[in-house]
Amino acid sequence: MNHPVGLQEYLIVSAALFCLGLFGVIARRNLFVIYMSLELMLNAANLALVALSRFTNNLDGQVMVLFIITVAAAEVAVGLALIVALYRKRQTAHTEDLASLKL
Amino acid sequence: MNASLLILEYAVVGLALAILLLDLWVPASCKAKLGHLAAFTLTGILLASFAMHPETAHYAFKQSYVLDGLSLFFKRFFILAAILVLLISVEFADRMPTGISEYYALILFALTGMMLAASASDFAMVFVSLELITVTFYILTSFQRNRTRSLESGVKYLILGALSSAFMVYGIALIFGAAGTMKFTAILASSAALATKPLFLLGLLLTFSGLAFKVAAFPFQIWAPDVYQGAPVPSTAFLAVGSKAAGFVLLLRVLMGTVPNITAQWAPLLMLVAGVTILYGNLCAIPQRNLKRLLGYSSIGNAGYLLLGLAASNQAGAGAILYYLSGYLFSVLAAFAVISVVSRQTDDEDISIVSGLHKRSPLLAAALALGFISLAGIPPLAGFFGKFLLLKSIIPNVGQPGVALLLGTALFGIAVSFYYYLGVVRAIYWGKNNSDLPPIAVPVPVRLVLYVCIAGMLYLGCFPNSPLGTATRAVLALKP
Repeated sequence: MNHPVGLQEYLIVSAALFCLGLFGVIARRNLFVIYMSLELMLNAANLALVALSRFTNNLDGQVMVLFIITVAAAEVAVGLALIVALYRKRQTAHTEDLASLKL
Repeated sequence: MNASLLILEYAVVGLALAILLLDLWVPASCKAKLGHLAAFTLTGILLASFAMHPETAHYAFKQSYVLDGLSLFFKRFFILAAILVLLISVEFADRMPTGISEYYALILFALTGMMLAASASDFAMVFVSLELITVTFYILTSFQRNRTRSLESGVKYLILGALSSAFMVYGIALIFGAAGTMKFTAILASSAALATKPLFLLGLLLTFSGLAFKVAAFPFQIWAPDVYQGAPVPSTAFLAVGSKAAGFVLLLRVLMGTVPNITAQWAPLLMLVAGVTILYGNLCAIPQRNLKRLLGYSSIGNAGYLLLGLAASNQAGAGAILYYLSGYLFSVLAAFAVISVVSRQTDDEDISIVSGLHKRSPLLAAALALGFISLAGIPPLAGFFGKFLLLKSIIPNVGQPGVALLLGTALFGIAVSFYYYLGVVRAIYWGKNNSDLPPIAVPVPVRLVLYVCIAGMLYLGCFPNSPLGTATRAVLALKP
């Protein structure tokens, strides 16, 4: 069976990646793992954009992906610096320990 | 292509880079004063913006950037907020560990993001400008690296902010898939056909949740109290005013300017979000003792009132949002300026620090009291007329199910808010704790901020016709 991979399959994979990332953000307790899951969610959107762009012959989506990758790189640089600064101060990267501000 | 439309943004970016460069030559003892220079130059930019009169919409970058009455109104709003925040941060400078010039530059970069957001006419532009604001605020909130609370609030904002960005990006991908374009003008032209596509509606819902995070609306409000409490005072002030207004200008552009037919269908959803946000913000504010945390919950409650204007989905509602935000700017910045000065000795923001404040500094006491009275919505200050306009804008829809209940909820929220706002006012004038402490000297720039805020609150409240006319003309841009 040589069934060509269509738009539907890409979108299903992308939705699955998005849900996996969301699950990681909700279920995991380590800040670094949470941050990786967030990147997974962004990449799910990138996959959807590239696939939609390819199958509709509209390059706007791929340009958007370039924007998202650039912005995500900036976000990661700032985010990791912040988490490392917190780690130095508190010697922890777990969400349970972020309780100096009362909830 | 008409890149000269971005002249105000260019000026602000240039100013930010100049501040970063000047930092290399200015002696360490004078670095804090760079904030005065930045505020002074921004005042010039603000005055120069009044030379622009866009009667019709002008587009740049293939219709992804628009300059019209609405965007110009918000650009001026953001510049004014940044001027006042810069003046507050000069007063706050000695409490920052290092890099005060970078702090000023970051405020200006965030301002650029807000100004671009006010002109966004394309979902790519929405994303990039919002990220410019959000990533800058990650640093602004955690700028006091020596304080665990500041770092912690930064990390909380980082995780939840990145989550909301992910939602928004996925929503934009789905919108692009369903509509084949990200341009607001093209989506508006085919919005009738798009309203039946589930993919488009899902994408719009995800984008809405990303924007709801920015304005701290239920169920994306959870970050606000922690971040407001932990961040340095000037960052919190800019977050409360600038970031919220940027969220609302984008909500107006997307929901009312691009898909008005879908917004009308979604009125029940918007009303539900508005009602729950009002209840959550106001009820949770009651037991708070920390002034910044109290303002965090109050900002959630105010997001709820502003959403009323969106749920009304008419021109009057949009105009009321602009008017209310203007009043909110003066009230909240007055409150934060006072908190910044008073918390200097105590390094704490408990309500007890303002107890007996009128004996120590009548000006600070009057400004803080007027700010809270305006937020509570008591005439003749700006907050009263703003809340009145927002409630009035939704009254024409009273035939729809739930509108009467929503109006009841809003009035209940206002009644509840009297309790905690006036509790602070009572502490200022009738509190006995600190009245034997020495008087507080108010630096001249903060004095200026307080005078501007008091004048703004009184002017908007006593002479609402002219500012309301400006707001009504600005929202004409949303008319399809």
